[in-house]
Amino acid sequence: MQAADLYARRRTVNGIYLALSMAATATGLAILFLILWTLLRNGIPALGSDLFTETTPPPGSRGGIANAIYGSIVMTAVATLVGTPVGVLTATYLAEFGAGSRIAPVIRFVNDILLSAPSIIIGLFVYELMVLRMGHFSAWAGSVALAIIVVPVVVRTSEDMLRLVPASLREAATALGTPQWKVIVMVIYRAAIQGMLTGVMLAVARIGGETAPLLFTALNNQFWSTNMNGPMANLPFVIFQFAMSPYADWQVLAWGGAMLITIAILLLNILARLLANWSNRSP
Amino acid sequence: MTADLSLTVEAPRAPTLGRPVVRPQEPAVVAQTAPKVVIKDVRFYYNNYEALKGINLALHDKRVTAFIGPSGCGKSTLLRILNRIYELYPGQRATGEVLVDGHNILDAGQDLNLLRAKVGMVFQKPTPFPMSIYDNIAFGIRLYERISPSELDERVEEALRRAALWDEVKDKLRQSGLSLSGGQQQRLCIARAVAVKPEILLLDEPASALDPISTQRIEELIAELKSDYCIVIVTHNMQQAARSSDYTAFMYLGELVEYSETEAIFTHPREKRTEDYITGRFG
Amino acid sequence: MASILTVPSRRLDRQRLQDAAFRGTTQLFALGVLVLLGGIVMALAVGAVPAFRRFGWAFLTSDAWNPVTEQFGGLPAIYGTLVTSLIAMLIGIPLAFGIAVFLTELCPPALRRPIGTLIELLAAIPSIIYGIWGLFVLAPVLQLTVQPMLIDILGDLPVIGALFSGPPLGLGVLTAGIILGFMVLPFIAAVVRDVFSTVPAMLRESAYGIGATTAEVVRHIVLPYTRAGVIGGIMLGLGRALGETMAVTFVIGNAHRIKASLLAPGTTISATLANEFTEAVGTLYTSSLIALGFILFVITFIVLAAAKLMLLRLEQEAAK
Repeated sequence: MQAADLYARRRTVNGIYLALSMAATATGLAILFLILWTLLRNGIPALGSDLFTETTPPPGSRGGIANAIYGSIVMTAVATLVGTPVGVLTATYLAEFGAGSRIAPVIRFVNDILLSAPSIIIGLFVYELMVLRMGHFSAWAGSVALAIIVVPVVVRTSEDMLRLVPASLREAATALGTPQWKVIVMVIYRAAIQGMLTGVMLAVARIGGETAPLLFTALNNQFWSTNMNGPMANLPFVIFQFAMSPYADWQVLAWGGAMLITIAILLLNILARLLANWSNRSP
Repeated sequence: MTADLSLTVEAPRAPTLGRPVVRPQEPAVVAQTAPKVVIKDVRFYYNNYEALKGINLALHDKRVTAFIGPSGCGKSTLLRILNRIYELYPGQRATGEVLVDGHNILDAGQDLNLLRAKVGMVFQKPTPFPMSIYDNIAFGIRLYERISPSELDERVEEALRRAALWDEVKDKLRQSGLSLSGGQQQRLCIARAVAVKPEILLLDEPASALDPISTQRIEELIAELKSDYCIVIVTHNMQQAARSSDYTAFMYLGELVEYSETEAIFTHPREKRTEDYITGRFG
Repeated sequence: MASILTVPSRRLDRQRLQDAAFRGTTQLFALGVLVLLGGIVMALAVGAVPAFRRFGWAFLTSDAWNPVTEQFGGLPAIYGTLVTSLIAMLIGIPLAFGIAVFLTELCPPALRRPIGTLIELLAAIPSIIYGIWGLFVLAPVLQLTVQPMLIDILGDLPVIGALFSGPPLGLGVLTAGIILGFMVLPFIAAVVRDVFSTVPAMLRESAYGIGATTAEVVRHIVLPYTRAGVIGGIMLGLGRALGETMAVTFVIGNAHRIKASLLAPGTTISATLANEFTEAVGTLYTSSLIALGFILFVITFIVLAAAKLMLLRLEQEAAK
């Protein structure tokens, strides 16, 4: 009798846990869909050619977020162009030259800390470093702050990818008499390129939505500006400012921008994932 | 424990002069010139572990020498000393002398890239570079020679013909090397190695990852290539060693147990351990 | 006999130089990472000096925040940071665990990749989106339904009641904690799931083989095996939660006050910085803000370093 009771109790407990875990997954998925639904519901009304062609208006008038879109794209691009080589070279050191070195584990450790460091601190740092020094906010400072966030992501993913390149390939290239730097640049990079590209895409997706680092560096600009040496509009800041404001038309624009950013970032993530899967499938 | 020193440094000795080397398809060898490679008292260490214990051996030009022995006997380790590929890994080192045409390649001043340009290597697992078939071959050539594109085309074709691969790939030179079958990839690696015109060819179990038909083609290839290179082949397949090589070295636990003409080793080995291995009592 | 092997060549010298230059360059950039961290610590420390010199340790215990009289204390911000992160962990960890268990033990293989991807997409959503969603969707819902319920049910109880007193504003510490929990949950779920999949299949199978239920396998086999990694993952999530800015700024109410009730508005370090830094005038004000940033950095550094060490230990054990 007792054994059967015990078994029944175990089964019940198991059932409860399993139900809870399914509920947890359902909750997670529900949050995702709720957020997306909210974005679409509030953002689609903002869609229109104005959104992409007009600059941010004062409250009460019509406008768009063209300057913010431009600023975000430009600063993201500059940050990626600066951060990626730095990240790849650092990862190369860690993967190719760091084998016996004692400082390599330290660098790896510090890199992982920077990976998760609060991005507002990065913004503060670049403020001290560049904005104070230069005397004004600038898109350069904003790009640098974003680049500092890009670097640890690229280092981590690139190092993982470089390590995956089989030792036999490295030996085969070396056995031909290839100088070491050519082995790395012409053979190993080529073998790892798809994985590294995925890492860069994920880094771009990460900085695309970052607000905090831009708050004290690029600030914002309500007019159209292509001047990298001055404050520049960007989507996250505009969303921040407009959403918190009491003005309905500003809020509509904020939702439009929020929807655009989210779609762009999710697409990038999905693309990166597809790229990673495709490269795994090739022989 | 006595290694057969009769084929080492000094003047050629009785076992070879006057006694025909029995390979039915070939004319008898009459006189031996000085050996191409002389291995003198070479020891190899993985950190503090002595993996090779005082090897003495001579390798002859335009002949195939096979290293055989059970797993872990050190045959691959010995092979890899000949192009110092172990230098890629800290903690691995070799002592002693390896004289190639009288010049000690273990010397600290020896340029490794130059050495490896002259001593080619083919690995157990086919390792085509992530490039087109053409570029795989051209890569090595371009490292050391400045030649015109048309001359490069000729060299690539020549190498692919020597590896018996030309007819199969001549229409798809621009396709990736990775798109070939396993046997073709290995022949591509052989073509790549001979394209840079080495003097010595090292083959580390080149057919063990291939199917029987590809294996046979590789063996035929080795027989043809022999006329131009000093070839050393590591194999765990005794029949292959008996078929393809002129000289065989049997190694056991880091020592050279017996070294002699292939026919002698397989028909009347001097050492008991050799006989045990050949008759399948272990290994 | 002279051999090609001994021929010196300018080409070889050039190759050697190129190799050294390449290696040197990578080393330089790699060291740059260390320099970066050092730079951040230094820049923050230097900027915080005026505030620390003026207030000393009192900065950590005072709850004053008056730009006019130039009295600044970090306690409300620090308190808010810790409390919201705690709430986030209380919400995020169970949910993350549930998801990880589901994905590794329950989910049909065909659905594993899609659902896993969806959860990871949740992690990819920028924090500002969580923030505005929290402000416009979650806060009103909480204000209208959950918070009144909490006040009714728990508000009169002896100790816990104090946590749920005051008017239901929608905004406040609790809401911020909940949003933060939602933000952090996919992150922890991903780490825990990766860690769960390091359990050797054979170990899991032998447990099922003697008739253990799934819950028992997870509790007695999987969790102990991956303990270091799970804790590491949780602490990584905590590190993220501590430093989050935008998700919190929108819903926390931005009040430099410490109240017992979770329903009251408060502030966190990052929210304070986000709201006030660009308008701060006066060295002491700015320096106090930077001092807050410094404190935040120290806290997250400690948490992240500890997390990393735990994860390293898991890797070492897995390698055995």
